[in-house]
Amino acid sequence: MRITAPRSHILPALSMLFIAVAAVAVVSGFTSATIARSLVVFLISLTAISAMGLYSGNSGILSFGHLAFMAVGAYASSLLTLPANIKGATLPGLPDWLADTTLGFWPATLAAIFVTIALAMLIGLAIWRLEGSAATIATLALLIIMHGVLIGWRDVTRGAQTFFGVPRETGIWTAAIGCLVALVVARLYRDSVSGLRLRGGRENAIAATAVGVNVPRERFIAFVISAALMALSGALLAHFLGAFSPKKFYFTDTFFLLAMLIVGGMSTVTGAIMGATVVTLVTELLRRLETGIDLGFMAIPQVFGTTQIGIGLLILVALVKRPDGLSGLLEWEERFIPLRRKGVKTVPLIAAQSEPVIAQNLTKRFGGVVATNDVTITIKPGEILGLIGPNGSGKTTLVNQLSGILRPSEGRISMGAHDLVKLPPHRFADVGLARTFQNIRLFETLSVFQNVHVAALSTKGGIDADARTMSALNLMDVAHHADAQANTLSYGDQRRVEIARALVCQPSLIFLDEPAAGMNREETDDLMERLRGLNRDLGIGILLIDHDLALVNALCDRIVVLNEGRLIAEGTPDEVRQNKAVIEAYIGTSNHS
Amino acid sequence: MDLILQQTVNAFALGGTYALLALGLAVVFSIMGLINFAHGELMTIAGYVLMYCGLAGFPFALSVCFAVMAAMTAAVVMERVAFRTVRNASGATMLVTSFAVAMVLQVLFQNLISARSQPVIIPDFLGSSIRIGDVVIGTNKIVAIAATLAMLVALELFMKKQKHGIAMRAAAEDFAIARLMGIRGNTVIAGAFALSGLLAGVAAVLWVSQRSSVDPLMGFTPVLKAFIAAILGGLGSLRGAVLGGFVLGFIEVYLAAFLPASMQEFREPIGLTIVVLLLIARPNGLIPSATLQAQKV
Repeated sequence: MRITAPRSHILPALSMLFIAVAAVAVVSGFTSATIARSLVVFLISLTAISAMGLYSGNSGILSFGHLAFMAVGAYASSLLTLPANIKGATLPGLPDWLADTTLGFWPATLAAIFVTIALAMLIGLAIWRLEGSAATIATLALLIIMHGVLIGWRDVTRGAQTFFGVPRETGIWTAAIGCLVALVVARLYRDSVSGLRLRGGRENAIAATAVGVNVPRERFIAFVISAALMALSGALLAHFLGAFSPKKFYFTDTFFLLAMLIVGGMSTVTGAIMGATVVTLVTELLRRLETGIDLGFMAIPQVFGTTQIGIGLLILVALVKRPDGLSGLLEWEERFIPLRRKGVKTVPLIAAQSEPVIAQNLTKRFGGVVATNDVTITIKPGEILGLIGPNGSGKTTLVNQLSGILRPSEGRISMGAHDLVKLPPHRFADVGLARTFQNIRLFETLSVFQNVHVAALSTKGGIDADARTMSALNLMDVAHHADAQANTLSYGDQRRVEIARALVCQPSLIFLDEPAAGMNREETDDLMERLRGLNRDLGIGILLIDHDLALVNALCDRIVVLNEGRLIAEGTPDEVRQNKAVIEAYIGTSNHS
Repeated sequence: MDLILQQTVNAFALGGTYALLALGLAVVFSIMGLINFAHGELMTIAGYVLMYCGLAGFPFALSVCFAVMAAMTAAVVMERVAFRTVRNASGATMLVTSFAVAMVLQVLFQNLISARSQPVIIPDFLGSSIRIGDVVIGTNKIVAIAATLAMLVALELFMKKQKHGIAMRAAAEDFAIARLMGIRGNTVIAGAFALSGLLAGVAAVLWVSQRSSVDPLMGFTPVLKAFIAAILGGLGSLRGAVLGGFVLGFIEVYLAAFLPASMQEFREPIGLTIVVLLLIARPNGLIPSATLQAQKV
């Protein structure tokens, strides 16, 4: 597996995880039995929330359903470790092969993880394309469905009754090993290629798709890995408790774990650890209060539900103070260990071999509105083509169709052998079509380097990704911002980063949607020189939308003009400037009354 | 045939309650992006007020007014105390905040009132039924359907004709711009919460009048269903919420009525599987919210 974060970050991060978990295990040897039990529960909860964070944190989709996988892990592993005589007594309806099998804890856990992976793949395939709230509701449904199945499937689960007799194999060291595995996997995934792509998709799915990320695929990978870790936590829990019922894997515990995750900050492993620690400490403290305490001079009576109220208030206070969770959006090492990015090589970003893009009779309707009407254009390799027209004339809609963001209602688009109407949107970057957006679409909370890196990793097979990223940043003169968070940059710099992100895909044709919007004259002139350089030195073709006619006239070999969704003129800047239809569209018809 | 008719009436009654709750969730969501899990506790509050008014011997109509007003007040207070501070946070943060509010309220109900289910005095006419041909229909079902329709019509008029309703629709389209145009952000949000409280209050009266009891967790299940209904319909779309509520009501009632006895245990999983399948077919909900389509690339 390829890790995108530098070694100077990953190694301290992993060592710290190892030290922290080992410390918990060692400390528990010196504490009372009650506290030792609490520490085991803590480690199991941490296993679960690092798994939940792996999916929810990186994808941005809050999941209510992960305890379903915990349940599968718990029941499946317990069915395998349960001694045959107990099985015979409590589960008479069990199929023979299962009734006769008794495995040790680790083999049983492994088997349970495989079962869960298979199930998660099945579910993942079903909810593959759901986004945002629809995905969240699907996971909520998963939780309720699994609960229903556990209660209904009496032969195997004893229904709503307690499932008992499970050997208590989970001690502090077992829990520590499981927890460490989960934390390390979650930490590595976050900075794996898939994890970085998924975080890009979380920040801006459309932009991620445009630079070659297949967002649903990465989401699927994260879903399956996190389900497997959930199963691990389930197996640990089952063999810690010895007896449990479906209620253990339902709303109360889901909310409890989600609270840990969100209080800590769900997008980092640091956050998972902080959330689990804080919530566990507060819970333990309050639980002692709940049973009533004699302070000597006065006795605090037992108050039912102190723990719940306390956790509720903790969540309210924590989230008011830190809406992104206690740890925020960065891992501790990203915050405290400065990066040195010396000695990263650069490579020339040669444009891909190109063929003309031919669009024929493109029509796009939104309900009754015809945004582009029967537009036919050809973009020749290596040319700079201007696309102008009044506001609302369909320029952006045309580019959206050419770059795969929208499918035309009618018409054909081809580039050499590629039929672009049939090409999946995330494949456009790799065939040589890259773009920027009218409203800047950066991955806001990722660093500038990561913004471009995602694109480099997702195109041209990810070869030389580091070097290509540095080259692209240098080309647009934003390399000195490489480690800044993207949304902290000035407007002009954000535009330049966006162009760098498109360039790193080594496109043969780049669509620039109002790149000079919001720039002053100097910045615009600088941009113009850079664009000319890209075209001249690297052979990249450019389709430029802009309202700055001076920029368009000076830069473009050829201009096409749209008005009310139709193509009304096409030619050299001089020809277009003389064109009657263009003058009418821009200034209106003269009134001969 | 009679059975189908009978169950259809039941489905409309249950679906109507879900629709009112889902509407309450959708009104708030469309403006501030919060999925309010504590919506159920508004129902519970209305239920308890109904109970206490009954014990105090108030006429039922008056009790209902008090109950609904209590839910509205509670909703506005809830916004002021808990949600205003996280207004600009992410959806997940707001969701968890609302869950914390719900948890705190539930424990308060358990400690201050009772952890057990309490009986609520319901007038006799709601317990009776009428016979039309061969079909016997409970009065409470008819009242539920009538109340739902009345609320939907009133809400439609409010949103279309009334100043505050129009302001709310504007805020739902674009909150920042609405404020720039002189609409007071706090007022609109408080109004949205009051409206959601009103809907929760009415839903609570309908819910309690079918069951004649109230307990600290009363609101949880119906609001969970309403949450599902709101997203099934298209989160943030008001018409979608209503449709989603009715669709879910129909799925549940028909499954309960027509699934073979051996499968009844799996009723809920089957119902939710249908919902997920509908969502897979229409990922943005049955009637997607208009702001979703208008998203500019």
